[in-house]
Amino acid sequence: MVLLGKIALGITGTMLAGVGAICSQGMIEVNVVERQPEVHHVYVIAPAMLVPIATHFIPRHDLGDASQQLRPYMPTIRAALDQLQATEDFVLVDVKDRNQHVEVQKIGGSLVVDVRDENETVHVETPVRMISSTLEQLAAADSATAD
Amino acid sequence: MRKATQLAGAVCLLVASVTGMVTSAWAAPASERYLHVKVEDAKEGESVNVNLPLSIAEKILPTVNKGKLHDGHVTIGSADLDGIDVKGLLDAIRTAPDNEFVTVKQKDQDVRIAKSNGNLIVHVRCIDHDKQNGKQTDKQNDRQNVDVTIPLKVVDALFSTAKDNELNIVAALHELSDAGDALLVTVQDASQHVRVWVDSKSTSD
Repeated sequence: MVLLGKIALGITGTMLAGVGAICSQGMIEVNVVERQPEVHHVYVIAPAMLVPIATHFIPRHDLGDASQQLRPYMPTIRAALDQLQATEDFVLVDVKDRNQHVEVQKIGGSLVVDVRDENETVHVETPVRMISSTLEQLAAADSATAD
Repeated sequence: MRKATQLAGAVCLLVASVTGMVTSAWAAPASERYLHVKVEDAKEGESVNVNLPLSIAEKILPTVNKGKLHDGHVTIGSADLDGIDVKGLLDAIRTAPDNEFVTVKQKDQDVRIAKSNGNLIVHVRCIDHDKQNGKQTDKQNDRQNVDVTIPLKVVDALFSTAKDNELNIVAALHELSDAGDALLVTVQDASQHVRVWVDSKSTSD
């Protein structure tokens, strides 16, 4: 009985540690509500860590062009994302016209994009750390291919 | 004995939480400064607000090396400063008392350049003769009034490079973040209103 308890505790602990590790980079949230012509609601929430993991499985030769184009901008992207993580929450861009409202803001550790108009509402929340690690992987892909 | 242990535990928790609060207060960064750009078009009912933390701009600019921008400096054509000793000119303005230095009156435009309270001020006013005479013309849409107010410290930082044909944008941004809240640029035409300013608010409200 005690042995079974220990095994159960071990499994639970491992599962908790795994969930903690997977969620360590935060969550990606996508919420799309379409009102016209038909009502659709798409809501996806996923651990951000899955994106850099998934990037590993993309064939390297398919990333060649993307990596080459991305690499010259990496110092700028790194500086921007590092500083973005360090700053307090703020609204980066806010565009309004008669029909649409677009907002890009930094909330917590995430970059949040909201688009609202008469027909649909879109909300995308992406952790900055995930953007950073994914772009680093993409940029490194080309050099890995070269090796 | 048990109560004493519980009390000690509670005290430890309280001390730990207070210490945590004090530490986080000490660790909190100094208030962020933002460069705001607001464009409003009353005719189209549009508005665009951009709020950029100056610290981000300061970190990004030195990493951009493209065209005339390199290491946070912008190279300006030597023809633009043909024979002008900008640093000498700035030194003369800095040491001069507050005054209006340049006034240009043209047929359809007034330009004034002045120094006031440590700021360099430029006003451009378009004179609408047709409007003054009560006539409406298409030209009225093109007319713009421009006001620029820049702290002299920022202008100094801008020209603080060793080369005469370079502007030090990063140094100017750094100086701007140390300056107080300031309305830097306003441009007003028939339908659009553009404002650029610096303050500590994270939104344009």
